[in-house]
Amino acid sequence: MYKILEKREIAMRNTWYKVHAPHVARKVQPGQFVIVRAFKNGERIPLTPVMWDREEGWIVLIVFTRGKTTARMAAELREGDGILNIAGPLGNPVEMKKFGKILAIGAYTGIVEVYPIAKAWQELGNDVTTLHVTFEPMVVLKDEMERAVGRHILETVPIDMTKSFPENMKNVTKRLTEKARELLEKEEWDLVFMVGPSGDQRAVFEVVKEFGVPMKADLHPIMVDGTGMCGACRVTVGGEVKFACIDGPEFDAYKVDWDVLISRSGYYTDMEMMAMQEYMKALQGGGQ
Amino acid sequence: MAVKRRIIKERVPTPERPPEERVKSFVEVNLGYTFELAVKEAERCLQCPYDYAPCIKGCPVHIDIPGFISKLVEYRDDPDRAVKEALNVIWACNSLPATTGRVCPQEDQCEMNCVMGRVGDKVNIGKLERFVADYAREKGIDEELLFEMVPRIEKKGQKVAIIGAGPAGLTAAGELAKLGYDVTIYEALHEPGGVLMYGIPEFRLPKSIVESEIDKLRKLGVKILTDHVVGKTVTMEELMKEYDAVFIASGAGTPRLVDAPGINLNGIYTANEFLTRVNLMKAYLFPEYDTPVKVGKKVIVIGAGNTAMDAARSARRFGVEVTIAYRRGPEDVSARVEEVEHAKEEGIKFVYFVNPVEFIGDGNGRIKAVKFEKMKPLDERDGRGKRKIVGTGEYVTLEADTVIIAIGKHPNRLIVNTPGLKVERGKIVVDENLMTSIPGVFAGGDAIRGEATVILAMGDGRLAAKAIHEYLTKKRESKNA
Repeated sequence: MYKILEKREIAMRNTWYKVHAPHVARKVQPGQFVIVRAFKNGERIPLTPVMWDREEGWIVLIVFTRGKTTARMAAELREGDGILNIAGPLGNPVEMKKFGKILAIGAYTGIVEVYPIAKAWQELGNDVTTLHVTFEPMVVLKDEMERAVGRHILETVPIDMTKSFPENMKNVTKRLTEKARELLEKEEWDLVFMVGPSGDQRAVFEVVKEFGVPMKADLHPIMVDGTGMCGACRVTVGGEVKFACIDGPEFDAYKVDWDVLISRSGYYTDMEMMAMQEYMKALQGGGQ
Repeated sequence: MAVKRRIIKERVPTPERPPEERVKSFVEVNLGYTFELAVKEAERCLQCPYDYAPCIKGCPVHIDIPGFISKLVEYRDDPDRAVKEALNVIWACNSLPATTGRVCPQEDQCEMNCVMGRVGDKVNIGKLERFVADYAREKGIDEELLFEMVPRIEKKGQKVAIIGAGPAGLTAAGELAKLGYDVTIYEALHEPGGVLMYGIPEFRLPKSIVESEIDKLRKLGVKILTDHVVGKTVTMEELMKEYDAVFIASGAGTPRLVDAPGINLNGIYTANEFLTRVNLMKAYLFPEYDTPVKVGKKVIVIGAGNTAMDAARSARRFGVEVTIAYRRGPEDVSARVEEVEHAKEEGIKFVYFVNPVEFIGDGNGRIKAVKFEKMKPLDERDGRGKRKIVGTGEYVTLEADTVIIAIGKHPNRLIVNTPGLKVERGKIVVDENLMTSIPGVFAGGDAIRGEATVILAMGDGRLAAKAIHEYLTKKRESKNA
């Protein structure tokens, strides 16, 4: 049991958890993740420590409500409660060196993963610009980002209530690629780094490719154990099968087989939606 | 005066749930003996003397088999006493009898050389062991034994770290705790048990039984830290500094994949992923449990070891058609006989001499069929005694919307990367005492073997515990001298 020291909704569908997890806080490096199992019948889900304190032994997780498990976390967990399991830190830290001028992009809650990495790169003497594109009510870490890096660009897209969620998401993708193109046209970059949904990562990569700028992408395939044991998170990189949990999660965007990644990431969407809907119904119906 | 005994040739059968009923659920297949049936079977044992008994020699952990069986007969009028005495004998060598009684390949080990086999059926040692463990647990007799045992343990004041709470790690932990060492297990997953929890299905080894076996270890003073990934959460170097000895029992971590086009199509699972979803995460109870699994209408399992049988039988319980495709012939199937029989009874089809060469998609990223090359056996045998096979250049395509790859594993890379640790072909190299190239660091189970059975891993756990005890005794003595 890992005690929740602080919990609050910091934006629509974005919940902040400060959790006592000294074994993770002691070791975690930017780029690494943890696997969280919040409830006995919950899933194991990969999340990224956004901030941590090695002495006090806590980490901060910012969780985007996407499926049943994350919805349950938002609805049922309270300060003082415990999260059943937090395993980690897992995955490899990002490369810590002087790249020069970096554009670090986060789509939606992807920005929370960008935060520790961008901050560390900036501290190392890189010139870091961060770009966050999301829906208006879902802005997170604005002030923290502004303090951490040279320049933080926030682009928001309003939610059009007359349109479906996937339609709205297309607007985010559009704004994301437009803004990335604008920045790549105007300025010279040594590295682009991005976290966000695979489809958006690929859309940005297609733009970056035109400019020939090196790009790293933090991949999010489906994961179960997170330690290289199950092989759920396999991705094709440079023609080879890699496991995102032990070989990644960060890869050279030019080498990733995006079709395979996107296809595999969506395999359970229908079942996840069903579980989520059942849960929401039960929540609204008060369990009957 | 010698008592003349009548020899009963036939084994006393254990009741099993019928196939048509059991394919509908994950409830345990074999129902086990009652005390009366167990005594009847126990009476069949010829009681070979300890230093001759071939069953003991066949057991990787050398349980005094005639010893525990004789207690059931000797105290037949007092079932509780009989079980307590029998369990005491088993525990001297094996802390997890409810598990081994269920999952050991007894026909290749203890039962293989049973003298009764010369005149009739071999004694059903596995089921007797299971009976003792189950009866003891149900009646709280194991607790009673522990209660008597724990206060007598003399603390050694030395600390041992164990990496991995699977069969090798748990066994070593139990032995070392009984010897008075301060034992801490580091486990990466959220529950201890390793393959017993994520790999072996509920219908073969109920999870509540594994939990109760682990609970006993905790009562012996073993500390278990879950969510701790050695190599990440804590490094080998840190463990070596903090503990007097380290035992690596990390298992065979990384699944082996078929090197063929289309391996990353949706619907192709490694056995590890499929079994983890189903067993550990209880995906068969989705959406009550949040973890999903997709089992199509036609499932092909590639491989014919115990893992393949477990995956096939688990898939079958989703009410679908399951085929096991194996590149060799029936005589080389490496799974336990009982599992193969159970699989066949449950309606699983076997196709032999087929080797996958391509996974064919449906155009939407999902598996649709598997193309196999037909193989043919040669007269020569390979190093493992299996017949060599060659491709025939002929192909066959089988439809499948789910494929499960169960062809083995590579050891976990997180640990084999430790500086100074000698590794060959992914396996940690050890000496006859299971000590690695680093003094004070021992290794066993699949981490040194690649892939073996639960009981071989437990045998390593026991051997390692003995070697660690000797190593630490010397260390203690040289310190005191």
